[in-house]
Amino acid sequence: MSSSATEIAISLRGVSKTFPGAAAPAVTDLSLDIPCGEIVALVGPSGCGKTTTLKMINRLVELTSGTIEVLGRDQDEQPVHELRRSIGYVIQQVGLFPHHTIRRNVATVPKLLGWPAAEIEARVTELVDLVGLDPSVLDRYPSELSGGQQQRIGVARALAADPPILLMDEPYSAVDPIVREHLQDELLALQAKVGKTIVIVTHDIDEAIRLGDRVAILDVGGVLEQYDTPEELLRNPASSFVAAFLGRERGLRRLGIRRVSDITTIAGPVHDVDDPVSVAAKTMAEHSTDWVALTEHGRLVGWTTGADVEHADPDAALGSLPRRPFVARVKPDTPLREALDTILTSHSRMAAVTDGDDDRLLGMITIDQLAEGLE
Amino acid sequence: MSVFANSADSFVWWSWVDGHWTEIGDRTVEHIVLTVIAVSVGFVVSSILALISVRYRWTYTPITAIGSILYTIPSLALFGLLVPITGLGMLTAEIALVSYTILILVRTIVTGLDGVPHEVREAADAMGYTHRARLLLVDLPLALPTIVSGLRIATVTVIGLVTVTALIGNGGYGALIDDGLSRSFSTPIVVGTVLSVALAVVVDVAFALVGRALTPWQRHATNRAVAS
Repeated sequence: MSSSATEIAISLRGVSKTFPGAAAPAVTDLSLDIPCGEIVALVGPSGCGKTTTLKMINRLVELTSGTIEVLGRDQDEQPVHELRRSIGYVIQQVGLFPHHTIRRNVATVPKLLGWPAAEIEARVTELVDLVGLDPSVLDRYPSELSGGQQQRIGVARALAADPPILLMDEPYSAVDPIVREHLQDELLALQAKVGKTIVIVTHDIDEAIRLGDRVAILDVGGVLEQYDTPEELLRNPASSFVAAFLGRERGLRRLGIRRVSDITTIAGPVHDVDDPVSVAAKTMAEHSTDWVALTEHGRLVGWTTGADVEHADPDAALGSLPRRPFVARVKPDTPLREALDTILTSHSRMAAVTDGDDDRLLGMITIDQLAEGLE
Repeated sequence: MSVFANSADSFVWWSWVDGHWTEIGDRTVEHIVLTVIAVSVGFVVSSILALISVRYRWTYTPITAIGSILYTIPSLALFGLLVPITGLGMLTAEIALVSYTILILVRTIVTGLDGVPHEVREAADAMGYTHRARLLLVDLPLALPTIVSGLRIATVTVIGLVTVTALIGNGGYGALIDDGLSRSFSTPIVVGTVLSVALAVVVDVAFALVGRALTPWQRHATNRAVAS
C-alpha cells in the first residue's frame, strides 16, 4: 500500500457545507487527501459532518464552497450520474431494490453502463462468490435474505462495475456485533484482493482503527482534528478532543492493531528433546520457571514439569520424560491484544510464538515484550 | 302504490330479459366504455398532477383541495353546471366521471411515491440513475401496489357513478334502471343494478390479480432466509 501512497484518489480542498436554514456549517473548511488503494475511516461524534463529507464526494450533497477532485478531475467536470457510476456506494440500511432479484440488484450499475448481458451475468456470479454467498441467492428477492447477507449483496452491488473508489456510510451499524466483526474481517480480506480506495464513515472508533489505514477524526461542525495512521493517533493524539475520543483504553487499542510479528521475542526455557536432563535445571533457574518447553527439529512438541526434571536421571534425554501439550501459543499475525490474553490466562505467564503452518517455534513472549513493543 | 306495480306477480320477468339481450349487451359495452375512458383520462391527469405535487411539494395541498371540492359536488349539481356548456352527451358525462377519480388517484399515487423507502431512493441516486430512470425503474414499480389499489377504488366508484349519467342521456346499465323507473317496471331496474354490481366485483377481482402479478417480490417476502 505504501508504494502507491503518493497517488491521491480523492482530494478535498477547503470544503464547507452549510445546509439551507442551518445556523452553523455541517462541514467547515475541510482539506483531506485520500491516497489510492487505502482505507480511510472518517470518525467522530454525531453532528461532526462525517456522513455529509462522504456524500459530498459523490455529490449526493452539493458543496457550499471548496473543491473536490476525484482521480485528478474536478467532480463537476462530468455529469453527476456518470461520476456516481464510477464510485461504489454502500449504506447502513443497504437500500437494495426490493422489487429486483439479487441478480438484478448486483447488475444495477453494469446495466446502466450498457454492458453486454453475458458479461453482466459473468460479473454477477463472480461478485456473489467474492462476497462469500452461494449462487442460489441470485434468484431471490432481498426480503428473503438475512441482514448480513443483504449487507454483502450491498457490497457486491457497489463493486459491480469495478469502480476504483468505494464509499461506505456506517455499513455495519445495523448488524449484530458478531456478524459485524465477521463482515469487517471480510472487508479486509476483500480489500487485500481488490485494492480499492475506500472511504468509510463510522461512529465506532474501534471499527475505524480496525479497518482504517488512516483515520480522520472530526469534531462537531466538520472540523478536522487529526488525520493519521491508527498507530500514530493512539501514540500521539493531537488534541485533548482526540485523546478523549480515543478513550482511556488507548494502550489496549494499540495492542489491538499491532501484531506479534511487530515485537521481539525471547528464547525462553526451551530445549531439544535430545538434550540431557542435566542442562534443564540451569535453564529453569535462568528463566525462573518450573517447566521447560521441548522442541524436536525446531517444532514445538510440548513441555515438561520441573518436578519431573528433578527426579529424572541427569543423563537421560528430556524427550524421555512425561510430556504435556503446549497450549499457550500465538502466531506471528496474532494481534497483541489477543496475545496478552493468552499470556494472562496461561499458567506459565508466557506464550510460544509458532509458525502457523508447521508449528516451528519462533520464540517466546511475556508481558515484558508486549510492554516494550508499545514504547 | 308500489313502483313495481306491473310486476306484482313476478319481481323479474325472464321473458323481458330474454327479449332484450341485444340491449343488455349494448348497455354493457356502453357502461364499460364510459368507465374505461373516465378511469384512463383520470389516471393520466392524476399522474401529471401527482408528479407535479411530488416535485413541487407546495402544490400538493391546493391540488388535493380542488380534488376534494370536485369529489364532494353532488353529481346532479355538476350536470346542471355542465349541460349549458357542454350539452347533453358523453363529454359532459366523462367530465363528471373523471372529476370524481382525481382526488382518489392523486392521493394514492403521491402516497405510493412517498412510500418508496428513503434508502432505496438514495441508493438509486448513488448508483447513477438519472432522475427519469429512477422514477420509471425504481419509484413507480415500488409505488405500484398503492397505485393499483387506488385504481381499484376509482374504477369501482366510477362503475357505480356511470348509472347516474343516464340522467343526461348516457348511463350504460343506468339507462336500464332509468327505463324501469319511468315505467314503474322492476325487471330492467333489477337487471341494471345486478349487472352493475357484478361488473364492479369482476373489475375489483381483476385489479387484485393484476396487482399481484405485477409485484412478484411481495409474494416472496414471507419466506425469509435464516441468517448465514
